[in-house]
Amino acid sequence: MISEREAAKYPFLRDAVSLVDVLDITLDDLVDPSYRKVLDRAEGRVSQAILKGETDSRLEDPPTELLSYPVANMFVTVLGEDFLSRRYALSEALRAEEILREEGEARVAKMARTEFEWTLNLVSESLDGRIYNFELHFSNYLRNAAVFREPKWKLVNRMMKDGYVLLTQPEATRLLKEEIQRKILSFVSVPAKINLPEPLRERTNRLAKVLSENRASITGEDLPSEVVMEALPPCISTAFEGLVSGKRLGHMERFALTSFLINAGMEIDDIVKVFVSVTDFDEEFTRYQIEHIAGLRGSRTRYTPPTCSTLRTHGVCVNPDRICGRIKHPLSYYRRKIWMLQRQEEERQGDVNPQISE
Amino acid sequence: MAEQDWGSEGYIADNFRAFYASGASRVEPPTEMRQREFGFLSFGGRSMFRHIGFEDTQQLRGYMREYAPAHTYFSAAYYEDPRANMEYKGWLGADLVFDIDADHFDLPCQKVHDRWTCSNCGEEGMGHAPDLCPSCQKAKFVEENWLCSECLTAAKYEAQKLLDILIQDFGYEGTGDLSVNFSGNRGYHVHVRNPTVKGLDQLSRREIVDYILAIGIEPEYHGFVSRAVGGGSSMSSDGWRMRTARALYDFIGELTPEGMRELKLAKAARERLEENRDAILETLVERHPSGIFRYMTKNTLERLMAAAVKGQASSIDTVVTTDIRRLIRLPNTLHGKTGWLTQNVPIIELPDYDPLMESIAFKGGTESIHIRRTPIIELGGEVYGPFEDETVELPLAVAMFILGRKAGRVVR
Ligand code: SF4
Ligand SMILES: [Zn+2]
Ligand SMILES: [Zn+2]
Repeated sequence: MISEREAAKYPFLRDAVSLVDVLDITLDDLVDPSYRKVLDRAEGRVSQAILKGETDSRLEDPPTELLSYPVANMFVTVLGEDFLSRRYALSEALRAEEILREEGEARVAKMARTEFEWTLNLVSESLDGRIYNFELHFSNYLRNAAVFREPKWKLVNRMMKDGYVLLTQPEATRLLKEEIQRKILSFVSVPAKINLPEPLRERTNRLAKVLSENRASITGEDLPSEVVMEALPPCISTAFEGLVSGKRLGHMERFALTSFLINAGMEIDDIVKVFVSVTDFDEEFTRYQIEHIAGLRGSRTRYTPPTCSTLRTHGVCVNPDRICGRIKHPLSYYRRKIWMLQRQEEERQGDVNPQISE
Repeated sequence: MAEQDWGSEGYIADNFRAFYASGASRVEPPTEMRQREFGFLSFGGRSMFRHIGFEDTQQLRGYMREYAPAHTYFSAAYYEDPRANMEYKGWLGADLVFDIDADHFDLPCQKVHDRWTCSNCGEEGMGHAPDLCPSCQKAKFVEENWLCSECLTAAKYEAQKLLDILIQDFGYEGTGDLSVNFSGNRGYHVHVRNPTVKGLDQLSRREIVDYILAIGIEPEYHGFVSRAVGGGSSMSSDGWRMRTARALYDFIGELTPEGMRELKLAKAARERLEENRDAILETLVERHPSGIFRYMTKNTLERLMAAAVKGQASSIDTVVTTDIRRLIRLPNTLHGKTGWLTQNVPIIELPDYDPLMESIAFKGGTESIHIRRTPIIELGGEVYGPFEDETVELPLAVAMFILGRKAGRVVR
């Protein structure tokens, strides 16, 4: 069995979860003043996720740290916002990665094998001045690294032999972070109808408020005024929300989003900032890619976003709405919607003015 | 006879039917056949019969006997319900499949046996059709593509390289995990069946494709670092670390002055290369890869490497491998464009395998056909043609091959 301190570090592990389960704490128990610290910390975990995108770790009080995790999960589940779930999973995963980085190889290996079923061996190889402590089966490697776009993560740039890829410890923990994030996300994205007792509901209401107050600034952080957020077609706004909440975007989604933003007039610097701030893409490489799409490099053609039918076949077209039915290209959606918004605005002013003049 | 009867499809269909009357019993079902989708093309049919599932081998063979299709495929994917429409099939996983097709190569023999004709102005040329017609700038061509032992050998060589990578780097077993099929036309299919590949998504398969083709490879991750680090030569290392060293060794060893100019190397870089060729080759064999920067800049190395890795990469088709719902030809079935068999080839027999001898389905008998035009045809150890606008009596296998490519018609 796992120690309480260990469980507090990694509360998402199966063993940690069962450690809490045996306590059999009910919702009504939580209302008791003795759980106040746990509730505070749980609320803190979620609000840190919203505000900072990264949760800190407080291991000086293991029981509180451990118990607050399932409570925080419950808050996120109750709030039921996709955007929050993803941002929370990312924040908690970053927290775990932070702690893991300080652990010995054996601990990392144990978690990888028992929790995530990695086929992983401890080795000790030195290549070009770097020490590789792990070899990981390429299928486990790809499951986590295939979405990374930096050249060093490309399989072709790795040392591979007999099906195994050599990894340094920071690389292994970086890949584990992906697994952890997916795991936590799977916990919090199961919709559940939970009837919270009043004192708990107060806390979720507070969190809902923090979320709604900050959501726009998180998602729209670096967007200049030229891009009209309300006019984004569903596919693009979904991809964008996904990006800022730490979801792994597929090739097509990334390409559609980037080329769309470029064509909608967003500055390259700003796009780079958005990408770098919410993911761990290497800035230089991200810039390179974006400049490529913008036609500043390589073939010198400025790419336009794919058509709706292409996006549809790649599964990027989600929740198309009424406007979607009349257009064939996301940029036409955008232009049309802007025009509609402007007309609405004019009409509203038109309505307002006579009233004033009366 | 009508223009459209080139190919005498009815005649081919009759022969296929006759073949499958006994040959159907040799059609081998794929592993886990109940989870596979099957697809068929009939003669003259425009659309594919797909979403077909079989309960057992007898059912599949019965179908072959009854319909004797022109082309027979099965899915690399496994489904809960292979008969359902795509959205409802329930994808469970897929084999990892590679397609090697000589049609995508640039080979000297294609200039001899392939031909294009512009549909607009009638301009003609040999080899692959150009992007645009040189005389009228249109892009519509009629292509007459043939094949010869050279194309097939080139395809086999690529298959062999692919197998080496799959065995050495990916750790798959030549017996058990991997199977190789001659496609019945111009290439080979390599299937990997192993629990570790089944669940790979498209993105992961794309990474594997990039690995095999050396797309996105950067020398600095394979020891070609400009700072001094300890370590020895990578000629006997593993993976692309080894292959980059070997590729450079082979490439630089054979590099001609024209080759250097084609790489757009500057004059100074070319001279340094010529002067130091032996020292560079020695460095690759004896020293850590970083030693190469004593003789060239990073830019020169990158140009050399980009060209050199092609010799070690295997020319697979990129689309087939990443498509997780792809239909692939079933072994021991006939290819409607050649009349040859798609065949499984045990890996140890691949070096000696000659499809022009072994994939012949129609043995014995002759047929008289009127031929439009063909290049030289090699089949079953004999050479026929070239033919142009003539009527000849040929062994059935050769006649079927020419008819399959719509270059002749049966004289009755
Ligand atoms: S229809 Fe076009 S614009 Fe609308 S969501 Fe789909 S892809 Fe986007
Ligand atoms: Zn022409
Ligand atoms: Zn040829």
